[in-house]
Amino acid sequence: MANENISVIKIGDILLVTMPPNPDDVTISLLQEKVLTNLEQYQSKGLILDISLVETLDSFFARTLTETALMIRLMGGRMIVAGMQPSVAITATQLGLSLGKAVAALDVDRALAMFRDGDSQGSLR
Amino acid sequence: MSAVKTGQVRIDSESDLVLVRKVVREAATELGFGLTDVTRIVTAASELARNAYIYAGGGVLDWRTINNAGHQGIELTFGDHGPGIPSIELAMQPGYTTGSGLGLGLPGAKRLMDEMEISSEPSVGTTVVVRKYLRG
Repeated sequence: MANENISVIKIGDILLVTMPPNPDDVTISLLQEKVLTNLEQYQSKGLILDISLVETLDSFFARTLTETALMIRLMGGRMIVAGMQPSVAITATQLGLSLGKAVAALDVDRALAMFRDGDSQGSLR
Repeated sequence: MSAVKTGQVRIDSESDLVLVRKVVREAATELGFGLTDVTRIVTAASELARNAYIYAGGGVLDWRTINNAGHQGIELTFGDHGPGIPSIELAMQPGYTTGSGLGLGLPGAKRLMDEMEISSEPSVGTTVVVRKYLRG
């Protein structure tokens, strides 16, 4: 039904992961596994999670995101969540969800810039 | 005045949660809700369907379009034959959970929707009804 694949692309020392529009629980759980395996394999310093296609962000998805962000942080990396749809942001706020240790960016381009700037100015915390 | 539309989705497995979201999204969109309200309704449905699956091992979603004193809307009823909720008051507190979730599902669904009713009996089951009306 919606068990589509998560795409993982390596851009320099950053991983770009794109979530499909309507991931099921298995796919969401798979995200964590895929991310951590790839981070370790490529020694990436960060992850950009592109959720611009995601239409529903419930508490299960949110919890997986914050857990993943914490894991990445523990490994010394950074996670940026990019492209959250406005309707999803409004709903997430009303639901009381947060991104935990992850930072948000309006889109992937800005997320990439944040990693680059973080390099030179150490501003990405 | 359009005819009442109804539907049912059995929640027997994890993959049924995706079906619940799909069906509710279609129903809410067809009824005329805007994108943000559709997102609210689908997210509330996702939380409640997940609760039924996690705590009761499954349940049923019955949905229908409603008309309350001229206000059109959608009503979602989640029923299960699970362990029931011992204290609805506790369950409604954000962060409170007897599982491993965030504890935001019930209070969150209430905030996202316009109306919510919960009836539960220990060892018998739980029924959660939520409604949202079109604005204007």
